[in-house]
Amino acid sequence: MHHANHFYGHAHVLARYCGLGDGHPPRINGYVQHGWNIGDGLAPGHPYAEFTPSLLWSEQTRRRAWSVGRRNVVTVGAPFSYLLSLRPDDPPEPAREGTIWYPFHGWEGQHVKGDHKELIARIRATEPGPVTVCLYWHEYGMRRVRRLYEHAGFRVICHGYRGHWWKDTDPLFLDQQLTELRRHKRVASNRLTSAIFYGIAAGCEPAVYGDPMILSAEDPTFGGTARIRRQWPELHGESVDLPTAVEIARAELGTDHRCTPAELRELLGWANLQEERVDH
Amino acid sequence: MTTETAARIALPGGEMLAWSDLPEQRLPDGGPLAALAARVVPAGARVLLAGPHDPALLTRLAHAEVTCLLRSHPDGVALADRGARVVVGGPAGLPAGETFDVVIAAAGLDAVESVEGPRLGWDGVLDRLVRALRPGGTLLLRLDNPLGVQRLVATAPWYADRADSAWTVGGVLDTGRPANPEQLRARLAGAGLQPGVCFAAYPDPNAATALVAADELDRRPTSGLFDAVLHGACADGAGDATVLQDPARLAVDALHAGLGSALAPGWLLLARRPADPDAGSAPAGGLPLTDDPALPVALVQTGPPGIGVVEVVDGPDGWRWRVTGRVSRPEPAPFATREVAYRDAGALDGPVPEGRLLRTLLLDACLRRDPDTLRRLLRGYASWLAAGADRDGRLGGAVALAGTDNVVVAGDDHAVLDPSWRAAAPLDVDVVLARGLWRFAAALLTGGYAHPWPSTLDVAGLTVVLGGLAGRELDRATVDAAIEAEAAVSAALRGLDADGRVRLATELRAVEPTDPPAGPRSYQQLREAWVRQREELTRLAALLKWTEELLTSRERALRRADATINLLSGSLSYRVGRLAITPARLAKRGARAAKRRARQALDQRGPREEQQ
Repeated sequence: MHHANHFYGHAHVLARYCGLGDGHPPRINGYVQHGWNIGDGLAPGHPYAEFTPSLLWSEQTRRRAWSVGRRNVVTVGAPFSYLLSLRPDDPPEPAREGTIWYPFHGWEGQHVKGDHKELIARIRATEPGPVTVCLYWHEYGMRRVRRLYEHAGFRVICHGYRGHWWKDTDPLFLDQQLTELRRHKRVASNRLTSAIFYGIAAGCEPAVYGDPMILSAEDPTFGGTARIRRQWPELHGESVDLPTAVEIARAELGTDHRCTPAELRELLGWANLQEERVDH
Repeated sequence: MTTETAARIALPGGEMLAWSDLPEQRLPDGGPLAALAARVVPAGARVLLAGPHDPALLTRLAHAEVTCLLRSHPDGVALADRGARVVVGGPAGLPAGETFDVVIAAAGLDAVESVEGPRLGWDGVLDRLVRALRPGGTLLLRLDNPLGVQRLVATAPWYADRADSAWTVGGVLDTGRPANPEQLRARLAGAGLQPGVCFAAYPDPNAATALVAADELDRRPTSGLFDAVLHGACADGAGDATVLQDPARLAVDALHAGLGSALAPGWLLLARRPADPDAGSAPAGGLPLTDDPALPVALVQTGPPGIGVVEVVDGPDGWRWRVTGRVSRPEPAPFATREVAYRDAGALDGPVPEGRLLRTLLLDACLRRDPDTLRRLLRGYASWLAAGADRDGRLGGAVALAGTDNVVVAGDDHAVLDPSWRAAAPLDVDVVLARGLWRFAAALLTGGYAHPWPSTLDVAGLTVVLGGLAGRELDRATVDAAIEAEAAVSAALRGLDADGRVRLATELRAVEPTDPPAGPRSYQQLREAWVRQREELTRLAALLKWTEELLTSRERALRRADATINLLSGSLSYRVGRLAITPARLAKRGARAAKRRARQALDQRGPREEQQ
């Protein structure tokens, strides 16, 4: 299995949905899209074997992937939508309060350029209620950055470590994220990212504003943040039209393309498992 | 040849002594052509069969007085033995001045001319036949299509015909003959006839199993009935011949493009010689008008077991089924298992449901990679099946065999197109659905159609996926039961014995997406199967390379971990720690040994206690 399939515990969520329990998920015969993406659904620079299936979130991504030469691309919906199916009301919806704010993160190899202080001031000026700031583990581990947000009076959390090369993956990453999202009335970020779509799907009102914090050496292949703003202007702003946002999130997360467990077992190559289960 | 036979054969000259034209491929009871001829010929009419025809036609025209004009002497003897009056020779040999109520030239005009004697040409033969037609009489004439489906899929070009019958090759280059129904009508009008209804003949004009009214074919390009009829006729008609491309696909594409009649392999056209105003009234019984509404919209000979020719007739409430001819069910094989399916001609007495064929709608959605439409269609199909199930979740009758190729969809309504295919015993609704989906999946994958799923899915896997889109949680055990049901149904309809059924089930289970489809060996589809195999090899080679690289990287990681463990094992803190926990380790080992001994002692005592 490609190690990226384990990011954020995606493979674990899919295994649970397929009725394979909480153990170590079997190998997936393909690459699962691991984040919302304006390209072919796969992370640039990752090694891929030709004709190995790409299991993508949305139809739009599938069409785009095909148009850039990918084959064996199939739309299955985002692992987060499978989690929503597993936990439709778990935990029961609490009284939602405040905003969960996701300052844009790069991954470990990238460095965000931007002014956190300026962003904090913008958040304080905009958000009506208490703010929870969710940092990527990389920034959460940077005491300087974390303190900035803590000193602003925000609750600072981290959903966990997404894992790398099968190591230290937090299999409950998405679960923790869903639990947190369901506690908040709003979800916001300085960039349109997976978290915004997850938040909308989890019932939050979305907002995208503030300095998008350009990455150093950001890959411009698919148009970058400028294109995101051009293509999804409806989702940008301190307040956006909720029904429109819900509709777009539904399409981008491929909620309508969520497979049944038997269907997903076939698509992931789990229908005729040869390997022995390893329960750790 | 008896004296009586010889008396019935007239030899005006021009006969071919070492020649036979009678068709080798013959349909039961003469097929749709005989059924159409029987409708065109009224009782007591004088009929001229010009050219070679299936002898079964004579049986169907027993109510008329038939004269055969043949060029082959052996054929003449064969037909005279059946009691027909026969003229053997070229068209010039027809008795001068004798006229007929109906002239049938359903083998075309080329087969009327002999190699002997002067050549009349296409127009000359037509002119002679028209002169043999009494005023008010009817001509039924066949014309082959130089660009018909049959020609388009043939591996040999028409201009390289080396058959014995090709002493001249008449083709589209010859302006002396018509090449399409419009030109044919013009020729007929030029010969003084009033052209009428035209039937498109599929899949082979020599043995057409489907005759469809050409104007209806062009007017109803989305008709599920025509879709099924043309596909069935071409798929069954090609057998296991070698062709350039799938004739069934081409025929259905032609239908949808409004070219169903234009690309028909041949046409049968009715024409009438205007009544002579001075000749008084028409003979008793009256000949049918060429645009007679009683003429069927379609006449079809569908697959085994034969139930004769099935007709579709137009009525005030739309199209209706009508069955003519005998109803025959083949004797089951000596060791046949209990039949699970049969055909019931009695079921074909109702309206023909309108709508598009589900198979075509699904194929279209697959090609457009439109999951929403696929989901809607498959859910509709599954819900329709489920709604017909009894309390135990079982389906019987026609719905139990209703695959995607025999269901029409109009809006949200579903209906079995041809309800004569019936299951003898009810089947589980999930098995019925899985059978329909498996058949579709096999045709989709082996047919090489584009679709929205990865190539790693096998036929059973795609069946499960389609089931998921239909909102049903099918598993591989259900799919296996469906394949078993498919083998049993096919075996029953083909009259196979138990061994044949088992063999068929094994073959069906072995169908792979990289196989070419069942049926004719089509170059195009064989090439596509090769391309799929090549892509699969490319995929596996890339996967192997990737796996090797990953293994190398993992082995390196393992070596690093080993080195770390060894380093830590040699450190002072590790040694001190290990020394500190030694008593605990020894105690644990001792406890395990004691537990093992106690268990062994109990095991040995147990049986003895039982013996006491």
